[in-house]
Formats: sequence, structure tokens, C-alpha cells
Amino acid sequence: MRLDLDGLKKDPPESIPAIERRQFLKMGLVVTGVFAGGTVLSLISNIQRVFASPEEFKEKYPYTPHYSMVIRQNRCIDCERCLEACRRTNHVPPYGYRTAILERTIPDAIGQKREFIPVLCMQCNNPPCVRACPTRASYKHRGNGIIMIDSKKCVGCKACMVACPYNARYFNEEKRAIDKCNFCFDTRLSKGERLTACAAACPTGARTFGDLSDPSSDVYRMVHQIERPVWVLRAEVGTRPNVFYMKA
Amino acid sequence: MKRIYVLYLFMAVVVLSLNPDTISASGEAFHGGDILYTRPLKAVLFSHRAHVEEIGLSCEACHDGIFEMSALSVQEKGDFTMESLYEGRYCGACHNGSMAFSSDSQCARCHIGVKGYKRLSQPGAVGEGHRGD
Amino acid sequence: MADEIRTSKISAIGGLARSFNSALFSDIYSTLIGFLSGTRSFYIILSLGVLTVFVASISGLDAMRIGYRHAYNITREIPWGIIISTYIFFVVTSTGLCIVSSIGHVFGIKDFMPIVNRAVFLAVVTIFAGFSVIFFDIENPFRMAIYNALSPNLRSNLWWMGTLYGAYMFFMAIEFILLLLKNHRFATYAGLAGLISGVAAHSNLGAIFGMLHSREFWYGPYMPIYFIASAVMSGGAAIIFFTWIGYKVNNEKMDAPMERAIEVVSKLTAFMIAVILFFTAWKVVTGLVGSPPKREVIKAMLVGPYAANFWGFEIIIGMILPFAILLGTGFRNVNMSFLASVLMIIGIFFMRYDLVVEGQIVPVFHELGVNEYRGLLHYLPSLHEIMIITGGMGIVASAFLIGERVFNGHKSEGH
Repeated sequence: MRLDLDGLKKDPPESIPAIERRQFLKMGLVVTGVFAGGTVLSLISNIQRVFASPEEFKEKYPYTPHYSMVIRQNRCIDCERCLEACRRTNHVPPYGYRTAILERTIPDAIGQKREFIPVLCMQCNNPPCVRACPTRASYKHRGNGIIMIDSKKCVGCKACMVACPYNARYFNEEKRAIDKCNFCFDTRLSKGERLTACAAACPTGARTFGDLSDPSSDVYRMVHQIERPVWVLRAEVGTRPNVFYMKA
Repeated sequence: MKRIYVLYLFMAVVVLSLNPDTISASGEAFHGGDILYTRPLKAVLFSHRAHVEEIGLSCEACHDGIFEMSALSVQEKGDFTMESLYEGRYCGACHNGSMAFSSDSQCARCHIGVKGYKRLSQPGAVGEGHRGD
Repeated sequence: MADEIRTSKISAIGGLARSFNSALFSDIYSTLIGFLSGTRSFYIILSLGVLTVFVASISGLDAMRIGYRHAYNITREIPWGIIISTYIFFVVTSTGLCIVSSIGHVFGIKDFMPIVNRAVFLAVVTIFAGFSVIFFDIENPFRMAIYNALSPNLRSNLWWMGTLYGAYMFFMAIEFILLLLKNHRFATYAGLAGLISGVAAHSNLGAIFGMLHSREFWYGPYMPIYFIASAVMSGGAAIIFFTWIGYKVNNEKMDAPMERAIEVVSKLTAFMIAVILFFTAWKVVTGLVGSPPKREVIKAMLVGPYAANFWGFEIIIGMILPFAILLGTGFRNVNMSFLASVLMIIGIFFMRYDLVVEGQIVPVFHELGVNEYRGLLHYLPSLHEIMIITGGMGIVASAFLIGERVFNGHKSEGH
């Protein structure tokens, strides 16, 4: 299919959205393929995982609460209030970060040509960092599945930094240990707050935080539906992340 | 990190070269140039060129009914929010889904983020282009 | 005169085992005299070695003071740089020296016997040099000693590597002492224990890379196998290199058994070059049809920023030229074997550097197509890093030279 860009230009403003919408609908798969990058495959495997048989259910969410974040990627406008909130809450030094926003520009896309993708520790169910750590300074919390750091045990070998498929870790000189996102466990969740600092600061609802083992939670409802695709980053690595992505 | 700064610089150059209305030959901006809104949050880029030259809107379509001539003065108003836009005020007067794409869609089409703001506010880049004041 | 001193020195070491008697002190005195009677060039090289160790210590302490982030060019995206690759270079050489010496000492192949003492001594020296350089890459080295024991992660290859190399260094040191005491039966047991722990440690070092399933370039069973194969090549090269220099230092001519030993080691090493060439060829060919991140690395290696390192240092200097020299001289020309060993050691140093750095140059989010990670990442060592690894080489050079004097050219065998 071809787009008549010249014709599009000459049209009165009123007709533009309609044409665009039609084009978007027609381009359906193509657009999904382009915008989702390599992630379409991962979304298929994710659906299989999410809609597993009831017997597997317990195995899938082995933690209570099973903390998770759903990122509605199309809502991110890179206002970076989440990054500021994270820095303030977790005392992240200027040379490091626990969460970042990546920018993807597709110059020949129709209409919107820019996307922002928030990234953070994916709190994987199969975490390569935990396996790499020689002293168990990196560990997965038995209660809630958050990947945490026991700072005093960290030898600073940086094997976990190399092992992480999401560039989620940095060496914190003040702590003399690796630092990373722990869903604000020490700074907020353990003090009774229900949201991470970034999710609380987000003005657009791009970051939804919650308990995936609770069927009444927003994250559960977003992940357990088939109307809109849900995917994870770098599914091919097999880390089984607990941070999901969708557009809604 | 250095690489990323170089990338920013490169993209700033690209943005500038693609927006001939930011600087004209005489140094004057056409049709009010680009407007970079930073409140209530960073950042939205409004292109006069895209609206006037490409779509063919007249000045009177917006000024002074929807927006005052003085750029960025709308930022001082407390109701310059997305809710107002959804109710048909400011950008929402046209961006309602029938005249132009709805203001509750394609967020990052107008929102350039802190990244875009930093690119435009680098030395040499004409960012806060309220030359049409 | 010199012979008398040597004889007394050997008896001194023999005496060490029996009892600490007064004769020992007079022997130490005569050893010192013998040491001081060395040539001028010996002392110049030794001073240079000690100087680099000194400069490296200053650099390392300064790096600790200002923080590794400031002193080294490592980043969040490329956390492992030339210090890690040089650590690998040293421990590969050490494991190789252990494996090659075990052919003679543990498995009883007579032709290899003359090189055993020197090889075992150098295995201890090179592993120590490796530990010395990595000391300045680990942020909290003292915590490592504590929590490696108190909080072991048995699923971590790094834990196994560290622990097994600790055991390896211990066994090799014991083996060397037993060789000096001419207790060959127990030395063989210590050698076998050293060989087993060394091979296990070294394959675990390979597995640190091979089991990183987020790093396409490293992931898979290739790494542990490749590491062991390249250890034998490194060990062979190191034995030829140090034996040749050892004889120059002592100003002696090789006897027939030693020339024969160099010949068989040259043959073994040439064979291992062929094995590594074969490994490398298939690594490249399989990588070319692999996932995009892996293809990016192979491209960088073949025609990109690492092409000069790969073709120039790894392939031509490290393998093709030495192989041609060894084959061309029929393995019988000791001087040419030495030349080949120099080329191999240079090439192998680059092999380790490229292996470590290339595995990290493709950003983890490269496939996501985001602006931040469109291109490859870059790393070049800083002055601090270069000083520290030079110091590691200084340790090996100094300890080798002192060893040649103190242990009398490592000829306790057959005299």
C-alpha cells in the first residue's frame, strides 16, 4: 500500500485525522512490526505465559505479593518526573541511575515519529545477575520477588553488571556496592506506601505498579487481557521479567 | 556518555536544519517560529511552520481567540492542562479528534520530553523561539 | 666458584626440609653473594621490572583513592576492561604452564621433564601476577576474602573460579617446594591436584563468559573449551619464551635433553595454534549467521574497529607467523622457536583483550532501535589501567629473573 503524501498535504485540516486513522488501521501489522521493533515475538510468548493453565498459575506467581510494573509505553512523554522522584527517594548519585527513559525516533512514520520507553530493573524471575554474583550480595527476595542488594556483601566484581540484559545496574561509590531499582522497597514499600516513587510521580499513568498475584489489581487486569498486546523487553534472553510493556 | 552528547548535538543540528523557520536568512523567524512550552511540564514543541505553511491555517484561526500573540503567556494560566485541552480549550480547540488528531492520542507527537528540551536548549540551538513576540 | 655456590644452594634448600640449622644461614649468605654476582643487564632488567611494579602500586592506590570510575575508562555499559583481560591473560598462561608441565611431571612423558621446574615456578608467578592486577579492578577486594567464605553462591562461576584458583595456587606452590626438595612422589600428587583444580578453575573462568546468556558473543559451551585449548597454547609459548631467556640470563648453553624439550613443546604449541585457528574460524563462521547482536560483534571484528587487532595481532602475529616459523624450522631451531613464542605472547594478549571488550561493545538495548544505543560502544584503557597491567608484567619479569638466580636456572633436575 502506498500513501499519497501530496494529496494528504492539500487536504483541508478537518480531513487529516480521518485519513491518518484509516492509514494506521490499514498499516496495522506493518506499523506494529516497525514500532514494536523485535518485540512482536516476545509478545506471543508472553501471551502463552500469561494464559497458562490454572495448575501452572501458582508456579507463575510464586510470590505474595508478586510485585510488577506495567509500562504503557505510548503514555510516556519523557517529562522525567519519575527520574527525579527516583533520585530524590533513593539518593541516586548524579553519575548513576536506577531507571531511565530511552527515545526511539522513526522519521518515516506517519504522524507521531517519536516514542519514549521507560526502562528499569525488570525484577526477572530468572535473573542472570543473581546467578553471576559470587557472594549472594544480589539475591531475589523470597517474599516478593524483588531483586535486592546486600551492600555489605558486594565485592564490586561487576559480574552482575555484565550479566544484566537491561543495563539496570551501576556501582554506587557512596554505598561501595552495586545499586539498582528495588521497586523502592526500602524507601517506600516497607514503610507502608503502595506505589514506587516513579509510579507515584508519573502524571500520565505510564507506570502502573502493583501486585500481579492479586486478580483485582490494575497490573493483573492489564496483563491478563488479549485485546491489547503485552510484551516484555528482550524476551529472547529468557529472563522472564516482571516489568511488562503495552500501549493503552 | 560522551557518545550520547554527540548524538544529542547531532540531533539538535538535524532539528534545526529541518526547521527553517527557527532561523531565517535575516535571522527573523517566520510566523512566530517554534514555541517551546516547559510548563506545566517539559516539554512541548509547537511549530508555526507546520500549522501555517503545511496545513494552511491563518493567523486569525488561533490569535487572539485561542492563544494570545505573546508566546508562552498561556503558560502562566492555571488551566493550561491536558484536562482543558480535552474540554476543547487551547490546543484542544482543533485537536479534538475530528479537526485534528485528538489531544489524548499520539502524546509524543507534541511532547518532546526533557530530551527534546535539552537538545533545543543547547548553546547555539534556537530553542525558546518566541521571536514572534 | 659459581658451581660451588650452586651446589651449596641446592643443599640449602634440601636442608630446609630437614631442620632450620645454622648451615642454612650460611647458605642463604652464599646465595646472596651468587645473586649479586649477576651481570649488569640482569640488574637493569630487574630494576625495570621492580620499577614498573612500584609505579603500578602507586597507580593502583591512586585509583582506589579517586575511585575506579574516575581512574579507569570502564563504564556502566562496559564494566570489564583491560585489567580483567590482562588477569585472564595471566591465568591462561598459568594454567597452560601447569598443563604443559604436567605432561612431563604428572603423566611421565620424559621429553617434557627438563622444563617442569621452571614451568611450575612460573605458573605460581603468573597466577600471582593475575591476582595482583585483578586486586585493582575489584572494588572491595577485602570483602571478597570474607564473603567468598561466609556467603558462597554455588551457582556462580565466578565463585568457583576464585575458589578453585586459590586452591590451584596453593597446590602449585606446594608442588614447586616438593620439586625443590626432590620429593617427586608427593610433588606428582600436588601436581595432579594443581592440574585438576587449575583446569576446573580455568574452564569456570571460560564459563563466566559462556554462561552469560544475555551476551550473545560469549554465550555457549564454546568458551570453557576454548579457554582450555588456548591455555595450552599460551603455556607452550611461555615455556619456550622463559626457558630461552633463562639460559641467556645464566649465560649457559642448552644441553641435549633441554633442546629436545623445547622441540616437543614447540610441536605441541604449533598443534595448539592450529586448534585455536580452527576454533576461531568456526566462531566467526557461526557468528555470521547468528542473532543480530552477535553479527554486529563479528562485523566489528572482521571489518570494523577491531579489525586491526583481529587480523594484525590475533591472526597474523599471534598465529600465522609463529606457525610458519615453527613449521619452517622443523621445530629444531631454539632461537626461532623463541621468536615464535614472542609473537604468540603478543598475539594472545590481544586475543584476551578483544575477547573481553568485544563481548560488551554491542549495547544491550541495541535491538530496541533507541537513539541512545544505535551504535557500538567504545572502550580504550586509561593511563591508570595501563600502568597497573604493566606492573603485572613487571611482577612476572622480576620474579622470573630472581627465580633464575635463586633456583639456579631451575636445574635441580638431573644434576
